[in-house]
Amino acid sequence: MNAAKQNKWLTVKSVGGILAIIFFFIPFFFPAEGLSVAGNRMLSIFLMAVALWITEAIPLHATAALIIMLNILLISNRALFSLPDDFSAPPFASFFATLASPILMLFLGGFFLADGAAKFKLDRNLAKTLLKPFGSKPANIILGMMLIVAVFSMFMSNTAATAAFMAVVLPVIAKLPEGDRGRAALALCIPVAANVGGMGTPVGTPPNAIALGALNAQGINISFVHWMAMVFPFMLIVLLAAWQFLVRVFPPSVKEIKIEINSTYDRSPQAILFYFTAGLTLLLWFTEPLHGISSAIVGFVPVVVMLSTRLISEKEFHSMQWSVLWLVAGGIALGSGVGATGLDEWLIGLVPWDNVPVAAVAGMLALTALAFSTIISNSATANLVVPIAMSLSVSLGDEMSRVAAAMFVAIGASLAMMLPISTPPNAIAYSSGQVKTKQMALSGALVGTVGLLVFILVAPRVWDLFGLMP
Amino acid sequence: MKNKPVILCLEDEPEVRDAILRDLAPFKPVARLEAADHVEDAKEVLAASAAAGEPIGLILCDHLMPGISGVEFLVGLQQDPAYAQTRKVLITGQAGLEDTVRAVNEARLHHYIAKPWTAEELQATVRDQLTEFVLATQDDPTPFIGVLDGPRILEHIAATGRDK
Repeated sequence: MNAAKQNKWLTVKSVGGILAIIFFFIPFFFPAEGLSVAGNRMLSIFLMAVALWITEAIPLHATAALIIMLNILLISNRALFSLPDDFSAPPFASFFATLASPILMLFLGGFFLADGAAKFKLDRNLAKTLLKPFGSKPANIILGMMLIVAVFSMFMSNTAATAAFMAVVLPVIAKLPEGDRGRAALALCIPVAANVGGMGTPVGTPPNAIALGALNAQGINISFVHWMAMVFPFMLIVLLAAWQFLVRVFPPSVKEIKIEINSTYDRSPQAILFYFTAGLTLLLWFTEPLHGISSAIVGFVPVVVMLSTRLISEKEFHSMQWSVLWLVAGGIALGSGVGATGLDEWLIGLVPWDNVPVAAVAGMLALTALAFSTIISNSATANLVVPIAMSLSVSLGDEMSRVAAAMFVAIGASLAMMLPISTPPNAIAYSSGQVKTKQMALSGALVGTVGLLVFILVAPRVWDLFGLMP
Repeated sequence: MKNKPVILCLEDEPEVRDAILRDLAPFKPVARLEAADHVEDAKEVLAASAAAGEPIGLILCDHLMPGISGVEFLVGLQQDPAYAQTRKVLITGQAGLEDTVRAVNEARLHHYIAKPWTAEELQATVRDQLTEFVLATQDDPTPFIGVLDGPRILEHIAATGRDK
């Protein structure tokens, strides 16, 4: 009993908390050479963030809040300890403002649409309609499910999409014979499609928002359709590769699969108002080049409409995913602090990049993101790696744009799906008891490899060819 | 899984207790099974679980026992806010109407299983009650999908789940 109690003190979390404190003070006692006073303070914050986000000693969004506070107390124009005169300290309000940055408003719009879709069962009904053309052959059904889940997770959280569709496939899995390898194909196709699908739009998953927020902070605005044009085709290739892998390696033994979704379209006036709002928002997002209204402003349309018509009640409003927004804001604050203090240039200067080919740098960025987010949170990974990636691209000159650098990190983070702990969708599939860790690792390795190859080697050429790289 | 919820089985007859624990074996991956043969013993289990940081998810309680009765124990527990979310199930053959009414009204009893029980009945009840507890108390109910009420937990995640 006593031994067990003592062991409890030595958890990853407690070690992480202690490391965070030690890391934080290192630059104060041993300042890095060639780094300004402000840069050293930012290094403290950055090292602390690394320890806290990797170990989750405190909740992810709490780390974000702590970063915003420390940025204000240490490097803003209201810093507690004076900064050298030659450092132009960012206004403290700019760090608070990360909590309402335009990209977060875009994301909030996505939350409202997703919550509305779940509330009026639009997801289930659309799935039922869209699945019909895929017939009943197992391979086709799996393709249909994957496409539908991927499209849904472009607009709702990958986690919610997975949960909704695991509920649909679990009864089908239960009807397959014991030991049928097709069980793994059906249970894996949902999280894989959700993880991959999240890459497709700016609102698909938090790392995308983190990349766009960092770009936005440097005055680069990528529209909703622009992101889709750059990512969606390649996302589809990864998805098809994953589908082929799943149905070949884990082929179901049965000739026919029936998916039953019991649901009918809600035709109440409220539901119709929601369909209209969602349709209008998507239309405006897709046509930004024609009207020029920024996707963040459009994202606020469903917020205003659904709050004023009470499509989202006050209670539902309170239970929105605010922690996700704070987490993203913390990443934006970290990135802007790193940029403002020159910490990024110093970090990049530690490695002689001149002799490294651009494709190798791109591959390394995406691989780093993938490796980190296999173990830790995708958003935390993006928060830590995006600022470094962007300044790295600047130091490479014209050869790699900041857009590509930020995007590679976001995509690398989304491609990590080898372990049950890699993403919440993986955890859901694993907890269902229908997938073994080995099977998940195999499919995750394939998706990661294909994804890296497609995005690093093929995508940049196509972007250049079609003039998609800003 | 860390800090698994505890299922406490309070039953004085050893054979009956063993039979209940045998029927509860499928829940071992997501819950820790604890047994007690009288109320004082049960209180020790509660104290030890509190010290270990393990929440009491469900109490399966017999009524007629030497010393304090099961219903009396549950009524006392109801006054402790630490067990406000704990699901309370009476499993007995000998509780009279008066005791049963008291258990419902004053102990907020969640379910009543009459002896003799069937394994299916007991498992269905525990699955249902523990799912209720998990959805009310756990930040992330994902690990419980496979053993408890999967469809209900998935529905909950579909409504509240967020990416990390």
